[in-house]
Amino acid sequence: MSTSLNIAIAEPSAIIRGGLEAVLKRLPGFRIQLIEIATAELLQETLRSHKPDMLIINPSLPGFYTMQLLKEETGCTEMKCIALLYAVADHALLRLYDDQISIYDSPEEIRHKLERLHMPPEKEIENEEQQTLSAREKEIVVCVVKGMTNREIADRLFLSTHTVVTHRRNIARKLQVHSVSGLTVYAIVNKLVELNDIHL
Amino acid sequence: MYKNGKYRETDKMSDLICENYPMVLVMSRFGIALGFGEKNIGEVCRQNGVDPCTFLTVVNFLTEEVSEPVTNIDKCLSIEALIAYLHKAHAYFLDFRLPHIRRKLTDAIAGCPKDVAFVITKFFDDYATEVNKHMLYEEKTVFPYVRGLLKGVRDPKYNITIFRKHHDQIEMKIIELKNILIKYYPGPGNNLLNSVLFDIFATEQDLSSHNHVEDFLFVPAILALEKTIQ
Repeated sequence: MSTSLNIAIAEPSAIIRGGLEAVLKRLPGFRIQLIEIATAELLQETLRSHKPDMLIINPSLPGFYTMQLLKEETGCTEMKCIALLYAVADHALLRLYDDQISIYDSPEEIRHKLERLHMPPEKEIENEEQQTLSAREKEIVVCVVKGMTNREIADRLFLSTHTVVTHRRNIARKLQVHSVSGLTVYAIVNKLVELNDIHL
Repeated sequence: MYKNGKYRETDKMSDLICENYPMVLVMSRFGIALGFGEKNIGEVCRQNGVDPCTFLTVVNFLTEEVSEPVTNIDKCLSIEALIAYLHKAHAYFLDFRLPHIRRKLTDAIAGCPKDVAFVITKFFDDYATEVNKHMLYEEKTVFPYVRGLLKGVRDPKYNITIFRKHHDQIEMKIIELKNILIKYYPGPGNNLLNSVLFDIFATEQDLSSHNHVEDFLFVPAILALEKTIQ
């Protein structure tokens, strides 16, 4: 399953930016949306309007800003910041970043770094095997396509609405299907429901 | 891979199209037909009453795969021409592309179980309705607002930032349809279905670049226009 990622590249050199873009776009397993930032002036505004998942940044761009301040001021508190390095850099400087990419990194190394940053550690193990729906998740799909609300599903299956919401999020993530009409197709194709059971 | 780099009026139209075949759609949305011979871009545009600057702005925007708002919009860009282009693109999606895919899709899945064919068609129709709504909003609200601006009238109750904030990625749901067909389609494989899949891939791309033109070229141009009529 490919992971969707919004990545902003803040780098003054068009050659390096273009090269990094080409490498990122070819990485298997990712659907990457890229945002280019060429100058320090555009940095804050672009981050604020796009709210990327990750920022790959030339450490010379942010100037006196620390990454923490940048994240707070642009409202991107969850954003991971990766330093883009041309050469050896000061450790004290690099401590401010979540990770670093050297321009000599292989695509394989870059991919590992993105995966490591993107996935919370506890999810890493389950991600490999659990792409198919559990029995409980299938029950929830059936309820959803029958038009039940989260509240009704919770009552029927003796769950909290919060748990139902979590299940629904996991279903969407596993199937890459978010809409009710999409889940309906899934349910019919996999014979979880009959056409007569649902009102369309 | 397509050729990158800025195109100019003096480049041959046929070179542009052969190097970046999606530009055939851009050309036709500007109202230019095939069969232009050896003429260059400027000549072909003028012959068809198309503003060459606007045409080249869109072409260069798309071929260079710009993914941020354009900050230095060429002064010669005609907003009327850009709106006419966007309008034709909408008509293309709504009146040709989506109905065409629907016809092909229904033929392609005719052999699979009735209930499956039914829900797939239903999914597609829901999607088409959504695209319709999305584009109709632009036609009924955004474009009239901009046409007013061009006449120097500013609607106090609307501005382009409202549009920018609510403009969603209309290609996301067609990606879902693609996922469903690829992962769960139960019938035997067939050439027609593969062909529909290719159409869907192309439409996804086309819709996404259409949205890019709106977000990163049209919106910044209108923002600049709004500033002149404070």
